[in-house]
Amino acid sequence: MSVLQLPRARTARWLLAVVLSASACLADAPPPAQIFARPAAPRPARVNRRDLPGVFSKPAPSSLADLRAIQERVAAVVSQVSPAVVAVELTNSEGIASGSGVVISSDGLVLTAGHVGDRAGRRVTFTFPDGRTATGKTIGVDEDSDTGLMRITAPGPWPYVNVGDLKDARLGDWALALGNPGGFDAKRSLVVRLGRIIRLMPGVVQTDCTIFPGDSGGPLFDMYGRVIGIHTAITSSTVENFHVSITEFFDTWNELIGPPERLPAYCGLSVVDDAEGCRLSKIEKNSPASKADLREGDQVLKVDGRLINASATFERWMAECGPGETLRLEIKRGNEVFSVPIKLRSQPHSTK
Amino acid sequence: MKPTLLFILLAAGLMQTALAQDEEDFPSLPSTLYRSGQRVLKAFAPISAQTRNSIVELNVNEDTVALGAVVDASGLVLTKASEIKSGKLTCWLASGKEVEAQLLASDDDDDVALVRVKARGLTPIQWATSPIVEGQWAITPGLADTPQAVGIISTLPHRIRPQRAVIGVVFRADAAAKPTVDWLQPGLGADEAGIKPGDIVLAVDGTTVTNFQQVREILREFRDGQMVQMRFQREEQEFEARIKMTTPKPGELGYYPDSDERENRLSGDVSLRSEGFEEAIEHDTVLEPWQCGGPLVNLDGQAIGLNIARASRVATYALPASLAREILARLKSKVENPPSR
Repeated sequence: MSVLQLPRARTARWLLAVVLSASACLADAPPPAQIFARPAAPRPARVNRRDLPGVFSKPAPSSLADLRAIQERVAAVVSQVSPAVVAVELTNSEGIASGSGVVISSDGLVLTAGHVGDRAGRRVTFTFPDGRTATGKTIGVDEDSDTGLMRITAPGPWPYVNVGDLKDARLGDWALALGNPGGFDAKRSLVVRLGRIIRLMPGVVQTDCTIFPGDSGGPLFDMYGRVIGIHTAITSSTVENFHVSITEFFDTWNELIGPPERLPAYCGLSVVDDAEGCRLSKIEKNSPASKADLREGDQVLKVDGRLINASATFERWMAECGPGETLRLEIKRGNEVFSVPIKLRSQPHSTK
Repeated sequence: MKPTLLFILLAAGLMQTALAQDEEDFPSLPSTLYRSGQRVLKAFAPISAQTRNSIVELNVNEDTVALGAVVDASGLVLTKASEIKSGKLTCWLASGKEVEAQLLASDDDDDVALVRVKARGLTPIQWATSPIVEGQWAITPGLADTPQAVGIISTLPHRIRPQRAVIGVVFRADAAAKPTVDWLQPGLGADEAGIKPGDIVLAVDGTTVTNFQQVREILREFRDGQMVQMRFQREEQEFEARIKMTTPKPGELGYYPDSDERENRLSGDVSLRSEGFEEAIEHDTVLEPWQCGGPLVNLDGQAIGLNIARASRVATYALPASLAREILARLKSKVENPPSR
C-alpha cells in the first residue's frame, strides 16, 4: 500500500491521497485513476470588517439606530445560514446520541462536536430545519479538542455555509448560536441565540449565547455568516458557554479524517475516464466487484445515488468508505442500466 | 431519546477545571458589555421610556411575583396566572406608587390572568401587528429606565406541549429497528397493562409505527393521567392495550427525572408552570420567573407578545400578541357576562 501526498490546486492544504486497491497499481491503470482524494480541510472565507455596519466596531450599541443595524444584520445571517444547520442522531458506543451539526460543503461534509460523533463508519441521520432527513456516517473525532466530522452520503447538493477564522476576532464581537436544544423538534423552527464573544482562548471561544444539551455540535456564526465555533460545553452560569474554535478543526483535520492506513476498503476494480464518464477497466477475480458480477467496460453512472461523471469522482467517494460498507452502484452495460450492491471488504493482502 | 446531556456535563466539568487556571490568563469582556449588560441595555432606554407606564409589578403579600401588561386605561392588566397566588394583591407603578389590585378572571389553558389595578392615567400597551422575524430584538421592559433584560426571537410561534408523561418503557437503542421493549419501569402504565420485554409496538393511537422515535413522538402529545391505545406484537400474536400515561415525579424514575433535575440545576430558576401553551414565541432572554407576565416588545416599543414562562436555560416563552389579545377578549367577556348558574 503506497501513500502519496499530492498538492492539488484547490485543495493543497491538507490533501492526502492514497492508492485505493492493489489493482490500482496494475500497469493498465492510468495514473490519475489511482489517486483517491480524502476530504480536504475547508478554507476560511475572507472577510473585511469594513463591510459590517459601524455598530459592530463599537464596544456597545448606543442608539436605536445601532440596535436596528444589529437586528437587520442578525436576521439576514439567520436566514442565510439556517438551512445548513442540522440535527444529528446516531447510535454510538454510549447509546443513542443526538446533537447538532452544520453542513460546510455542497457534497455534505458536516462539522460537529467530538462528543456527538464517533469513530468512522457509524450510521447517522441528519435532519434539516425544514424537516428533510438524510442519511450519512461518521468520519472521525478528535476527543482532546472535541472536534467531530461527519458526511451526508445521500446525494446532494446540500445547503452549506462558509467557515471562518478567528484571526480578526475581538472580544465583544457579536455571534449567533444555532442548534437544536433538547433535541430536534419538528414543531419548532431552528433555535437562534445571540451573544458576544466574552473570551478568546487557544482552541476555545467563550460567548454569552445560551446553549443547552442537544445544541452540542451546533454552529456559532460571526456576523459575516461564517462558522467560527462548534458548541461544546456549558457552565453553571447561563451566560458563559464554550464553543470549540473553528481553528481546532483545521488543526485536527488529519485526526478527523483518520489515518490513511485505515483506508481504503477493497473493491477489486479499476476505473478509467472515457468519453462517457467513468468506465470499469479491470475486475479482479474473487473480489467484491467480481462477486457483484461487474464487468470490464461497464459504465458507472452513480454511487449511492450520486452522479459519477469522471473516474476521480468515483474514487473520491470510494476513498471515504471502510471495509464492510455496502455501496449501490448504478451501472450501464450496453443499453441496459441496472443497480447493484457491492459490499466492500478489507485488503486481501497488505502491501504496506 | 437521551440528548447528550451527560456528555456535555462531563465536558463542562472538564473544561471548567482545565480552564480554571488558564482563564485568568486571557482577558474577558466586562460583563457590562454582555448582551444583557448595563451598557448595552442603555441603548434600549428609549424603549423603556415609551413602555414603562404600560407595565406594573404585581406583589402578593409584599413579594413581587410577576410583571403585568396594561391593556386598558381603566387599569386592566394581563399577567401570568399561576404566579398570582392567594393573598393581598398590590402592584407597583412606574410612578413609584403602590396600589391595590384585584384578580378578575383567569384562563388556565394558557396561564393568563386579568387583573384590575386601582390607578388612573396608565397607558395601554400598543400591540404590534407586523409579523415577527427570527433574530429580531425581543425586549422585556420593566418599571426601570432600562429593560430588565433583552434577547432575540429564537423561534417562530409554536405549540408548547404539555409536561412529559411516560408509559414506563425503555426501548432497545436501535434507531433503525422496530420499536422493541427493552425493559419496563415497575408500576407504571405499560407494566400494569402486562407489556413484556421483547414486545414490539405496531401502532400508537391508531398510527402505525416502525421505529421508537415515532412512538416517542406520538406519546409526547399525551398528558399525565390520559389513556393511550397501543397495538403490540408478541411472537406471532398481535394484541391491543390501553396504557395509562404518568408524569414521573422527580426522583421517582432513575432514567428520566435524573436528567430533568440536572437540567433545572443548569437552567437557573424556571417558572412553575412552563409547559402546555397553545402557541408561544421562544426567545433567548434570561429572565427570573418573577419577570414574566409583562409585555415582550420590539424596537418600536410595541408588544409582540406576553412573557408567559421562563422555561429552560435557553428559552423564555411569550404568548404571541394575537393570542394574548384573543385571551384578553375571552377574559373580558367572562368578567362582563359571568356564567349563570
